[in-house]
Amino acid sequence: MSFEAVRDLINNLDSKIIDNRIGNPAFRDPSVKTYPLNKDGFRIIRKVKSPRKCVFIDGGNQELAGAPNFSVQINRVYFSIWVNDKSVRERILPKRIEFFSSTYSTMLDKEIFYGTSVFPSLPDQKIFLPEEGDLSFNSFDSSIAYKNQRADIERVASISRRFAEWHIAEKIVLNELDKGDIVVLDGTLQTNFKNEEKYMSKLFKAAKEKGVIISGFSKTSGLLTDTGLSLLGAVDKIASDHRVEHEWYYPIAEASSLDHNAVILAVKLCAGSNRIYRYEIQGDCFKWMSELELNEVLSELVYNSCDVTFPGYPYGLVDADRLARVSYDEAEYYRGALLSQLSDVGKLEKFARHMRAKDSHSILNMLVK
Amino acid sequence: MKFAHIADVHIGAYYDETLAELSSKAFEYTIGKCVEEKVDFIIVSGDLFHVSIPDLGAVDKAVKQMRRAKDAGIPIYVVYGSHDYSPSGKSIIDILDSSGLVTKIVKGRIEDNKLRLEFITDEKTNAKITGISARKKGLESKYYEILDRDALEREEEFKIFSFHSGIEEFKPRELTPVECIPISYLPKGFDYYAGGHIHDRSENTLPGYKNVIFPGPIFSGYPRDLEKNAKGAERGFYIVTYNDNTIKHKFIPIKVCESTYYEYDATGKNSNQVKNEFQKNIGEIDANKKIVLLKVKGKLAGGRTSEIDFSEMKNLLYSNGAIYVNVNRYGFTSSEYTDVKVSGEDVNLIESKLFRENIGSVKLEQDKLLGKKGISLAQNLLKTTRLNPKINESKKNYDARQVDDGITTLELKEVM
Amino acid sequence: MSEIEVAAQVIGGKVANIRLREKTGRKIELGDLLIVEEDDGSGLLLQVYDLEFGSQIPQSMRELAAGYTLEGYGSNLDFLDPKLRNYIVAVVRGIARINGSKVTIPKILPRFFSTVRDIREEDLKFLTKPEHPIYLGKVRSGSKVLDVDVFLNGVDMFTHHVLIPATTGRGKSNLVKVMLWSAVGKKFGILVLDAHNEYYGIGNDLGLKDHPDAKDNIVYYSTNPPPGANTLVTNLKSVKPWHFEGIIRFTDAQREAIQLYYDRFKERWLEQLVQETPSDSDEISAKTIAVIQRRLKTNLGLYFEEDRGLICKNKAFNDKAGEATISNIIQSLESGKIVIVDTSQLSDKAELLIGSIIGHGVFFRYQEYKGVGELDNKPVVSIIIEEAPRVLSMETLENTGENIYDIIAREGRKFKVGLVAITQLTSVIPTTVLSNLNTKIILGNEMSSERKAIISSSPQDLSNDNRTIASLDKGEAIVSSIFTNFAVPVQIPLFEEFVKSYNINSKKTGDTFFTG
Repeated sequence: MSFEAVRDLINNLDSKIIDNRIGNPAFRDPSVKTYPLNKDGFRIIRKVKSPRKCVFIDGGNQELAGAPNFSVQINRVYFSIWVNDKSVRERILPKRIEFFSSTYSTMLDKEIFYGTSVFPSLPDQKIFLPEEGDLSFNSFDSSIAYKNQRADIERVASISRRFAEWHIAEKIVLNELDKGDIVVLDGTLQTNFKNEEKYMSKLFKAAKEKGVIISGFSKTSGLLTDTGLSLLGAVDKIASDHRVEHEWYYPIAEASSLDHNAVILAVKLCAGSNRIYRYEIQGDCFKWMSELELNEVLSELVYNSCDVTFPGYPYGLVDADRLARVSYDEAEYYRGALLSQLSDVGKLEKFARHMRAKDSHSILNMLVK
Repeated sequence: MKFAHIADVHIGAYYDETLAELSSKAFEYTIGKCVEEKVDFIIVSGDLFHVSIPDLGAVDKAVKQMRRAKDAGIPIYVVYGSHDYSPSGKSIIDILDSSGLVTKIVKGRIEDNKLRLEFITDEKTNAKITGISARKKGLESKYYEILDRDALEREEEFKIFSFHSGIEEFKPRELTPVECIPISYLPKGFDYYAGGHIHDRSENTLPGYKNVIFPGPIFSGYPRDLEKNAKGAERGFYIVTYNDNTIKHKFIPIKVCESTYYEYDATGKNSNQVKNEFQKNIGEIDANKKIVLLKVKGKLAGGRTSEIDFSEMKNLLYSNGAIYVNVNRYGFTSSEYTDVKVSGEDVNLIESKLFRENIGSVKLEQDKLLGKKGISLAQNLLKTTRLNPKINESKKNYDARQVDDGITTLELKEVM
Repeated sequence: MSEIEVAAQVIGGKVANIRLREKTGRKIELGDLLIVEEDDGSGLLLQVYDLEFGSQIPQSMRELAAGYTLEGYGSNLDFLDPKLRNYIVAVVRGIARINGSKVTIPKILPRFFSTVRDIREEDLKFLTKPEHPIYLGKVRSGSKVLDVDVFLNGVDMFTHHVLIPATTGRGKSNLVKVMLWSAVGKKFGILVLDAHNEYYGIGNDLGLKDHPDAKDNIVYYSTNPPPGANTLVTNLKSVKPWHFEGIIRFTDAQREAIQLYYDRFKERWLEQLVQETPSDSDEISAKTIAVIQRRLKTNLGLYFEEDRGLICKNKAFNDKAGEATISNIIQSLESGKIVIVDTSQLSDKAELLIGSIIGHGVFFRYQEYKGVGELDNKPVVSIIIEEAPRVLSMETLENTGENIYDIIAREGRKFKVGLVAITQLTSVIPTTVLSNLNTKIILGNEMSSERKAIISSSPQDLSNDNRTIASLDKGEAIVSSIFTNFAVPVQIPLFEEFVKSYNINSKKTGDTFFTG
C-alpha cells in the first residue's frame, strides 16, 4: 500500500469536505418544507415512562435461486412489542411471518412484465401476505427500473416483502395496539413502488381510527445539506459545537406529498452514544400530537435505545432485524432443498440453464476464498 | 496389715470320698496357715462351696475350720461365687453369714439407676472392703454396668475390691470363649483386687489397676483342675502384706497329694493292641498314694471301644496304691461306633435316636437287650443315673439307691 | 411435562457432551440430575458436569458492554431482553435410560430440542433396598437432596472392597459413622482401626455406642477404655514374625534371625529376643540382634532393662496381660460384630501391627473355613483402615514388602474378607490395588492429580466429573460401584441428625432392688 497516495487522498478529501459551512437540509422535492439548521433547533427529550406500547417491525429476504427471468426468495417479517425497555407478549398474532415468493418474467401485451406468486410457510399465514395482483410490474416501470434499463428481477422480488411489512403492520394495529401506541417501521414512510401506496394508506387509515402513531426509523440516511455535507453529520456538528447534551431531537423537514407524508426528525436517543438517526412520524399523527405526547413517544424510543451492545439504536429494531434476517446458512439450506426438489421432479436442468446466466460471480467468489 | 486371699474352694464338689477328703484337707491346711501367719482377715472371692446347698458332711468339716478362724480373731469376708449363689437368697453363705462365721461384704442399693456400694470396714485394720458377687451365667455384669465407680474411687483409705468374674484382659488364650468382664468395669485405684472364678493363678497389673490377683482353687473344683494339678499346676492362696504403703503378695502353695497324668492315643490301632499296650504302660506308672488320671483318645482302626475293660485297668492302678483313678474316654471312638450327629428338639427323642442308631453295633444275645426293648431298657437305665440326691441324703445312701433302681430296671433283683 | 417443570432444553452437542439451554431462573447446578421424557415412556437420565455462559451477543460486544459499565460511560445502559440473550448452557451426559424398573446404559441421543425437567423421586424407584443393606445417604441432584435412600448390599460391597478418597474436612468420618451405624446388628464383622478415636463416642459425644443394639453388636478396645469397654492390650505371645511383614522393614539377615528365634522359642520368641544380650553366635551376629532390638524399641516401645525387666512402653503391648485379646477380637468379628480399636494413642507402626495381627488371624482362619466348606456360614469381615497409603502405596509395597492389607485387597474377596481403605492420596496406590476396590465413595477433593487417579480407576466412566468432584461440598459424595447402575450422587446425612430417628435416649430402668 502506498502511504503517500493515501496521505494525498486524505488531504484532497479534507479540502473538499468543508464542514464549517453547515447549510440547510436539501430535498429535491420542492413540496418538502425544511427547517434551518442552527443551535436553536434542538429539543431535549425528557425521559418519562409511559404505558405506550411500541411495536418494531422489520423484514428480511434472501434469494434462493435466481436467473434473469426468475427469482425465488425466502421472505420474513418479524415484530416485537415493547413498553419502554421491557418486551411484552403479543396478544394473538404470530411474531414471525415467513413466506416464499417466486418472481418470474412474462410477456403481456408485447411487454415483459414481472409477476410474483407468494407461498406462506404456514397455510394460516396467508392472510398476512400481499395480493399477488399488486405484485405485477412492467419491467420498465419507473419505480423499479433505472433510466431506460430493464429492472433487475431480483429487486422486484423483494417488493413482496416490503408490501408484506405494510400489511402486517396494519394487522398489528388492528389486533395488538391501542390508542397512543406506536408503530416503528424500519426505514422511511415513503412509498416507492406502484401499488405500495395502497398498503400504506390502509395502514394509516387503521392507525388513524385507532389513534396509533405510525413512524419509521432509518438505520442509514443519505440526506445532504445544501452545502454538500451529510445532513445527520451536520446536525451532529452543531450539537457538538454547542455542547448539546442529553437525548435530543431536531426537526428537519415536513414532507406532504402523496407518496410521503411525514415529519422528519434527527434524533439522538442515547446521551452516551455518538449516533444520530433519521426518524419520521406520519404527518397526520404528528399534527394532532402535543409537545408532551411527542416527548412521550420519543422517550419510549430513548428507553428502548439503552441496550449496552448498541447504545442509541432502538433495541426493538436490533431484535427485529436479527429475527427477520435470513442468514446465509439458512438460505443455503433452503437453496439445497429447492434444488433437490427440482431434481426430484426432473426439472433441475430446465431452470439451471437460466441460472447459469447469473451465477458465475458466486462461483468466482468460491474459487478465490 | 496382713490378710489372706482365697478363692474357689468348692467345698462339697466331690462325692468321691477320697477327693472330698482331700478337698477338706486343703481347706483345713489353708485356715491353719492363716492362723499360723496371724492374718488380720481372710477374703474368700466366691465359690467357697460348690453348690448353694451342699452336702452337710462337707459343710460340717468346713464350718469347724471357720470356727477355728473366728476363734483366732480372724474374720472371713466373702462374696458369692457362681456356684454358691442362690437366686432365692437361701444359700449356705447366708446361713454362715447369719451365724457370724463369715461376713458378706457386698452391700449396696440402687439409686437413680446407679449401684451405690458400701464399704465394710475391717475393725482391726480399717481396711475398706467391697465388691460384687457372682450371679449365674455371668449375669452380675448388669451390676457392673450401673456401678457408681466414682464414689468408690473417691475413698482414700486402703481398699480392697473382691469379685468373682473372669477379666477379659487377663484370661488365658484357651479361655477365649469364656465370657468375662472387661477390667474397665472395676473401679480404679484400689489397693488390691481379690479375684475369683478363674481356676488359674495369675498376678496382673494394668494402668489404674494394680494387684489384680486370682489365686485359683486351693485343690480342685472340676475334673479339669485335677488334670492341671497332675500336669504341674500350683494350687494355693495368697497372703498379702501392706506396710509403709507397700503391698507384697506371697503365694502359699498347697499340695494335699501327688497326681500323675497319662495320655494315650489309640489312633490307628485295634482294640487288642490298645488293650495290651495300655495295660503295659499303666502298669509302669508309679501310682502309690497318687491321684491317677488317664486319658484315652483317638479312633480305633479295628475292634470296639467296649472290648477294652478300663475298670480292670483302674483296679490295677488301685492295687498299685492309687488313691483315686479316673479314665477320660472323651474322644475315644471306634469306626464301628462313631459319633452320630442328630438334631432334634426333644432330649428323649435324641436319646432314642442315638440308641437306635448304635444298638446294632453292640453284640448282644439276650432278647430284652435287642431292638426296641433294648432301646427302652437303655433309656430307663439312663434315667436312674439322673436321679438327684435327696435333701440330706448321704452319699452312701444315694449310691445305694441308684444301684437298687438300676437293678430293678434291669430286672435283676431276683438274680441279685 | 408441565411448563413449570421445564428446566432446560436440548440445543445440541454429542453423546458425552449434550448441551442444554437453561430456562432463566432455574439455577442448574453441577451434578444436577435431569430427565428427558422419551416418546416410548422411558426417561433418559442426564447429569450436569459443566456449566458455561451462553450469549447471542458476540464476545467482543460483551467485553465492550462491560467496559461501558466499568468505566462509567453508561450508567443507564444495560442489556435489554436479558433472559433471551444471555443464558446458561449446561453440558450434560446421559448416565442411564430408565424404563420402569429396568435401567440400561444409554446409547442414543435424546430427541433434538426436547425439553428437560428436574428429576422426581418416582424416577428413581428402581433404586430399591437390597439384602444386607448398608445406608449411604440420599440421592442428591446438585445440592438438592431427594427423599430417595441409597443402599448398597453390604455383603457385596464389603467383600469387593471399598475406597473412600477425600481430602480433610470433607466428611469421611461422618460417612464411616453413618455406614457403621447402619451395619450394626446385620452380622457384618467390621474391624475399625480408629486412628482419631472418633467412632465409638467418648463421654457425652454421640457415637456408635449410642446405637440401641450397641451392647450386643459393638465391641470397643482402647488403651484407656471407658467403663464397660475392653482394654487394648496385646500379649507379646500373640505377635508372630510374619505380622511384621510390610509393616516394619527388616533386612534378610534380620528376618532370618527373627525366624530362628521363633523356631527356637515359639510364642516367647519376642520376649526372648528383646531380653537377649547381643553376642555373636554361629547363626546370628550381635549387630543384627542389636539392630532388631533398636527397631523394636523405636517402633513398638519394647525394650529390656536389667533392673526393671521387660518394658512395654507402648500400652497396647504387654508381656503378661492380653493373651486372649486378639482371639477375642477375631471371635467377635466372626460373630458379626463391629470391633472398634482406638489406636489414637498408638504410634503409626503399632497401629498397623495390631491391625496386621488381627488381619492375619482373620484372613487365614477364613482361608481354612473355605477349605473345609464352612465359609458360607461365616459373616463377611471387613477392615477399615485410615490413611491407607501407609500400607497400600507403591512406595510402601516396594520398600517394605507385601503386607496383610495388600493381600486382603488382592485376594480377600475369595474368602469374604474385605478392606475399606480411606485415603487422601489415591494417586500413590497402585492401579492393581485400586482396581480391586470395586466401590468408590468419592468425597470432595481439591487436588487435580488425585481426582485423576480416582476417575481413572472408577467402575463407571467419570471422565467428565472432574469439576463435579472438585465442587463436592462437605457431606456430598458420588458412589461409583460395580453394584450401581450409574455413579450415584448422594448426600450423606450428618451423623447427629441421622441417629435422631433411632431411640437412643431411652434408658432402661433396671432393678431397683439389689441383694449382695
